[in-house]
Amino acid sequence: MSGNGRLPEAATPVRRILALGGHEFSSRPPDRAVCELLLRLADERGGPRPRICILPTASGDTSEQISSFYAAFGERPCEPSDVSLFRLGRRPLALRDHLLNQDLIYVGGGSLLNLLAVWEAHDIASILSLAWRQGIVLAGQSAGAMCWFEAGITKSSGKPRAAAGLGLLSGSLCVHYNNEPERRAAYLDAVADGMPSGYGLDDYAGLLWEGEGSPSSLTARRGARAYRVSSREGEVLESPLPVRFLPAPAPAALREDIAEFRRITGMRKRAGWLG
Amino acid sequence: METAPRQIVAFGGGGFSMESGNPLLDDYVLGLAKAERPRVCFLPSASGDADHYIVRFYRAFSAHRCEPSHISLFRREQGPSDLRRHLLSQDLIYVGGGSVVSLLGVWRAHGIDSILREAWESGVILCGLSAGSLCWFAEAVTGFHGEPKRLRGMGLLPFSNCVHYERGGERRDAYHHFLREGMCGGYAAEDGAALHFVGEELSRVVASRPRARGYRLDVAGRRVVEMQIATTYLGDREALPAAPLPEALSTAPAPAAG
Repeated sequence: MSGNGRLPEAATPVRRILALGGHEFSSRPPDRAVCELLLRLADERGGPRPRICILPTASGDTSEQISSFYAAFGERPCEPSDVSLFRLGRRPLALRDHLLNQDLIYVGGGSLLNLLAVWEAHDIASILSLAWRQGIVLAGQSAGAMCWFEAGITKSSGKPRAAAGLGLLSGSLCVHYNNEPERRAAYLDAVADGMPSGYGLDDYAGLLWEGEGSPSSLTARRGARAYRVSSREGEVLESPLPVRFLPAPAPAALREDIAEFRRITGMRKRAGWLG
Repeated sequence: METAPRQIVAFGGGGFSMESGNPLLDDYVLGLAKAERPRVCFLPSASGDADHYIVRFYRAFSAHRCEPSHISLFRREQGPSDLRRHLLSQDLIYVGGGSVVSLLGVWRAHGIDSILREAWESGVILCGLSAGSLCWFAEAVTGFHGEPKRLRGMGLLPFSNCVHYERGGERRDAYHHFLREGMCGGYAAEDGAALHFVGEELSRVVASRPRARGYRLDVAGRRVVEMQIATTYLGDREALPAAPLPEALSTAPAPAAG
């Protein structure tokens, strides 16, 4: 029997959200470290072959985002899938059932404004909120990280400006903190003007909420930081948070099939089957 | 000063998106623009601003016969920053196909729906296929997400609309069902047929395929009356079959099954 789709246990499931300041699905070490973390979080809920679904809505469901996700997870011990709201015409699926059957739902980056608008049109927000309460891990980067908060700073209309999120997490988030000084400046202004206080995340820095209380901060690239951003009497304070470093897994550990192939090839060579 | 008429051309399906090598519907809408080199803006929102779709638009509406542009609402950092000004300065706004639910959601978020209404009222010609047809009507039948569903559009045209209205298709049954359930009367178009509205009146139906047709649908009590509309084929007239007389079809209400 698969551990997926099981009934919630008697205890209230732990609500978990992983918000990332920015990353890609590539073979570079920090990106591999992020994938490893996503896989571990999914494993913790779903057992050895967890279900991981990407919602690429914020990008407009670009093939690029979808294929890089499959490239990262396709050969790992998990069942990856995507829910592309712009492509349902070619591949209809039961949205609610599919999403509530996942162990981890990952939201890709893009336009926060469009993400929330399209989700509202398809009534996705209530499904995600239910998924969260059922213990399905919610994760994402950039727009896909800010969407879980009450507010974020988006460049969906060109210039950075404040936009509302789903509000599963209280407070606000600003992503790409080190890379986009414009966005950071807009965030500091917004917090000074009364936006709820929150966090700034560099690319490859992340915050992990597990149950009640404060999040733990982590980073997949040395030097990437997470900040607590708050306002006191009109003055905005940025305090760096202590971060835990996530080392990248060795590439060999990533690809068990290749390791297996090499092992067999080695044995054959030793046995003299191959030249 | 004479004000330009409000015009919408709603394709059941067709144009460069669906009829590679058959430019008849695209030529027709371009021909409606009075300018020598009309300004044409493509809105690919229903596709999520798919790159390949945008490329195909620029291929079909090449710069030697018009001034093409597009607006990607997923990449606002590129393209015109003042959406309203850009859209109101066009001769023709061409809306692509895809998910009409997503289209309307994204448009509302960026205030495009009210700009398009303003554009229509000021004489900018609006056109589109599939989702880009459904969006202009008060109500629509969408089959994009699997089972045909009923939804509200922008309501520039006070009718219902159904696209890809092929004979024997499930959309036809669904449309008739919705009409019996109280959906307002309206128009359907097959792939290759386009409904040309001037103001809120249907002016004519044109087609890029000799057999493609448009239909008017009304409800009388619990009875749906479907009437085929005489359609002008835009291609080689030699190949045109004799125009069939308007043919009234009607469907009785479905038996009261449980």
